[in-house]
Amino acid sequence: MKVNHSFLATINPSCKLFSHVLVMLLLMVITDVKVTFLIWFLAVLIGLFLGGWTISYLLKRLCPFFGIFILIFWMMAAFGKGQETIWQWAWFHVTQESINHGLTIAFRMLAFVTYGLLFTSTTDLTVFIMSLIHQCKLSPKWAYGLLAGIRLIPLFQSELNQLKMAHKVRGYKEKNGWKMFLSYAVPMFTQGIRKSERIAIAMEARGLSRAKNRTYYRTTKVALKDGGYLVSILAIVIVMIIIFR
Amino acid sequence: MDMFLGCNDLSVRYYNRSEHILKNITLSINKGEKVLILGPSGGGKSTLISTLAGIIPEYIEAEVTGQVFLRDNVGIMFQDPDSQFCMLHVDEEIAFSLENRSVPQTEMDNIISDLMNQVGLKVDKKTPIDTLSGGMKQRLALACLLALEPEVLFFDEPTAQLDPAGRKEILEILHRLSQKTNQTMIFVEHMLDGCIEWMDRIIMLNEDGNVIGDGEPEDIIHHFTNEMKEAGIWRPKLYPSKWIEVIENPSHPLSIKLSKQFKSKCQTAMKDYKIENPVISTENVTIGYGRKSIVKEINLTIDKGEWISIVGENGSGKSTLLKSLIRLEPIKKGNIFIHGKELTNWSDRELYEQVGFVFQNPEHQFIADTVFEEIAFGGSQRNWPEELIYAKTKRLIQEFGLEDHENKHPFTLSFGQKRRLSVATMLLFDQALLLLDEPTFGQDEKTTYKLMKQLKERQKQGTTIIMVTHDMDLVDQYSDRVLLLNKGKMAYQGTPFGLFSNRDILQKTKIIPPLHYQLMHERREEILV
Repeated sequence: MKVNHSFLATINPSCKLFSHVLVMLLLMVITDVKVTFLIWFLAVLIGLFLGGWTISYLLKRLCPFFGIFILIFWMMAAFGKGQETIWQWAWFHVTQESINHGLTIAFRMLAFVTYGLLFTSTTDLTVFIMSLIHQCKLSPKWAYGLLAGIRLIPLFQSELNQLKMAHKVRGYKEKNGWKMFLSYAVPMFTQGIRKSERIAIAMEARGLSRAKNRTYYRTTKVALKDGGYLVSILAIVIVMIIIFR
Repeated sequence: MDMFLGCNDLSVRYYNRSEHILKNITLSINKGEKVLILGPSGGGKSTLISTLAGIIPEYIEAEVTGQVFLRDNVGIMFQDPDSQFCMLHVDEEIAFSLENRSVPQTEMDNIISDLMNQVGLKVDKKTPIDTLSGGMKQRLALACLLALEPEVLFFDEPTAQLDPAGRKEILEILHRLSQKTNQTMIFVEHMLDGCIEWMDRIIMLNEDGNVIGDGEPEDIIHHFTNEMKEAGIWRPKLYPSKWIEVIENPSHPLSIKLSKQFKSKCQTAMKDYKIENPVISTENVTIGYGRKSIVKEINLTIDKGEWISIVGENGSGKSTLLKSLIRLEPIKKGNIFIHGKELTNWSDRELYEQVGFVFQNPEHQFIADTVFEEIAFGGSQRNWPEELIYAKTKRLIQEFGLEDHENKHPFTLSFGQKRRLSVATMLLFDQALLLLDEPTFGQDEKTTYKLMKQLKERQKQGTTIIMVTHDMDLVDQYSDRVLLLNKGKMAYQGTPFGLFSNRDILQKTKIIPPLHYQLMHERREEILV
């Protein structure tokens, strides 16, 4: 999660997350193709005009999901039930209803992905965690622990690469999937436990749990525009639902 | 008793062990004192400072008896640079210390800038922590501790995981800091050069967790030479002599010793080498991913039975070059030949029967459940007859001194034993070529020289050795040739003598030669003056 310099990046992360989750919840109960498509399209528009996306960024990110889009659509459309048969061949049975179904589900998936991307591409991880502390009242102990854990992910990645190389040199080939998994998992787990224990001790040694009136280097607040974002995005979606129902 | 910091009849036992790790320790440390705690590994040095810092039994559970006199505000620095941070950027990390102390937000920015200056961390405040080098990370760790405004600073092997350049930097900063603030500092270290010169006191522990020596550094060094050797402590090369005395007084014992060393090196340097039977050669090799090249245009030929060291600063591409020799890194341009056959034409199986690779972290290589199986692994994969596997494995176990640990799980061995096992696993096929990535990194003196001896033995039998290292004494003592990489390019290729006597290259690539060469450079300069 890296931040860019768009308008959306200045919105309070908790507020942004809450708005997007609400839209996603609405998406789940909508069964209309047009509305689902429009809600997805709204996310694309927000991304392009408020989120600092370029067309090429958008295409690059969504490209893999278009593949899944077609797959979901075809699965739903060709094997679905329905009365109005459009086309039938061998075991494929495409009906008006199944096409509708397929498109709705496929656009719903795409919209979920796009709203998620809208959040991650415009939110700084640290600010997000800080906002969880300030707006969602997450305890600092958990929040800082979470951050420390996230730091470990790239370390694990390089560890895994090293392990793969070492196994290659030793000519280690295991057909038994479980044993194969263990041969990677055991050293990674031991290393992970050791590292996280050390980090925890280092954090405690620096007084994490001794702090009484903790101050904060970075604070996040909810401003008018954050509420504005929430209200307007919800309003647009609801209006769309009402008009196109 | 009114004590600044210390303990009275302190004993500590971890709950999972029956033996006490520290026994009946009584210590008093004065304000402003710089104390160094020495002892064998597993002898309770870290336990002692963790107890004095109040981490045991507060955060690490253990049974503690006796009295401990703690200070309220302490800072402790650990050895692993990667596992003491919890934030993503430099400024946030320092702020974490300030937040815990409830420093008002408005003051934080100034304090952070001040601290960064104080520890010489000259980077942008927003720099991600993962992009810092090991030495920079330890500077950051120090800044985070100073942010706590501690009365006492504890250091648990703060430089054990740094290269010599990073180590020197950190110790110099600490020295300067200690002079400026007269901070109380307590160290655990196993390498004495760079810190013993400014310590006030040394406390020596033995294997059973008793204090056996406590006094002025010079006396302790003098009295406990054997204990230090036994404990694998890297004893100082110079201390208690002073460099200036050694240079000015040719009859100084150390001066005589160094001159002798230098002369004997001179003689060996006169031998020319001829390549008769190349094991590995490269033609214009460039290594990297995508558009990025990490190592450029490498041409080298290595003869059978040679010992080659690859040296260079961190990030100069040493490990990458070593890994590319057995296809662990992609080659963008050029060719590598092993026994005259192009690298791409070798099958994995054949290649790794010819070439062994010892990784920096020995644990990565272990796949079996016992030491015996670990070494025998390749043989059993190739369906060798039982007797052959048994004979070869036994021989290796003996050669690397692992007889008593044959049935142990590799992960339960000590650090030095793990290292030796990882080398032994790479020799089952009597590999003609052995590549080692910093094999002595973090090892103590005893295990280092034990390993070097075993490798030398192998070399005599005809094994070619290529080793990446930071230790210039090892380079000088053991290698026939040295390759110096500087920013991904070959800066020198030849004898160690040639490298260490060439002042221009040394300065350009920031390499510090062994003492006897330094003495020679000083002498030469004097003649010129």
